[in-house]
Amino acid sequence: MSNFEDADTEETITCLQITVYHPVQLQSGIFQSIRFYNREKLPSSEVVKFGRNSNICHYTFQDKQVSRVQFSLQLFKKFDSSVLSFEIKNMSKKTSLLVDNKELCYLNKIDLPDKCMVRFGDYQLLIEKEDGESLEFFETQFILSPTSLLQENNWPLQKPIPEDGCYSSCSTQDTFPTEMDENEL
Amino acid sequence: TEKPLTVLHVSLYHPTQDPDTFANVPPKLQHDTNPLLVGRGPDAHLQLRLPCLSRRHLSLEPYREKGGTPLAFCLKALSRKGCVWVNGLTLRFLEQVPLSVVNRVAFSGIQMVVRIERGTSLEAFVCCFHLSSSPLIHRPQAEETDEWESKPQEQPPPSSGQ
Repeated sequence: MSNFEDADTEETITCLQITVYHPVQLQSGIFQSIRFYNREKLPSSEVVKFGRNSNICHYTFQDKQVSRVQFSLQLFKKFDSSVLSFEIKNMSKKTSLLVDNKELCYLNKIDLPDKCMVRFGDYQLLIEKEDGESLEFFETQFILSPTSLLQENNWPLQKPIPEDGCYSSCSTQDTFPTEMDENEL
Repeated sequence: TEKPLTVLHVSLYHPTQDPDTFANVPPKLQHDTNPLLVGRGPDAHLQLRLPCLSRRHLSLEPYREKGGTPLAFCLKALSRKGCVWVNGLTLRFLEQVPLSVVNRVAFSGIQMVVRIERGTSLEAFVCCFHLSSSPLIHRPQAEETDEWESKPQEQPPPSSGQ
């Protein structure tokens, strides 16, 4: 009992949830090295690289059309903030990186909005950040979406309110684990 | 033809003038587009030998601003204990600032002036190091952990170890 009361206060950690989709994700095995739903804790000093080369990248896409290092996420702290912020940087000479409607060329970087759509080639990644207190660590969690994260005419521009009042394309409700067939992973 | 590399002209000064401090600093260092780590630790690309310096104290990160420009650099503080003073701004753990053409940087008693000579290559950049026997920065902001004054004539006391 006293251990609980005397122990250091646990800090919450920032979680980055990354929902991915690619039109041929099932047939191609491009996401086979990603451990979906697994929460991975990483140090905040880490530059997190995404790409084809598994020796360099933390998260790998098994796809010859993906650059060896496609993009990276870097952590920093803004002067007026007490939580971690992210920057996304395009590491590909070949392919532009779209962050919402902003295009990043090679070595361009921008602050990652708390929720945004990142695209390169046919890859779609919806990245959502949930703030935590810790400056030492953060966490990632990948989710596989069975359907495209883009909705025609709606994303990335301002969405008109649909008649039925339901914003379904980018909510994570579509990607709730229990609705997925195991075979799809 | 190969494109000319961006060159960072880096001058370093430490008040004790101990030859060991900068013993591992090469005259020239070529680096790729990954961040260049500065610190006491073995994985630092620029290794400085001071006990009060963190193993990873700061990084210089190459990137590009929008608009097809050549390399720009961002300095990020990586030390949890010490801070880094850059052009009048104090950076604490994970705080960062883009560098200008000429930059005055101070950390753990070290003074570093970085002058960027822009090249067009996006593959790599070069650092040219110069060790100075006289102070480089006049009237710097006093750091919280250091005791030295801003007047260049006054010998600062050896920095208290952290």
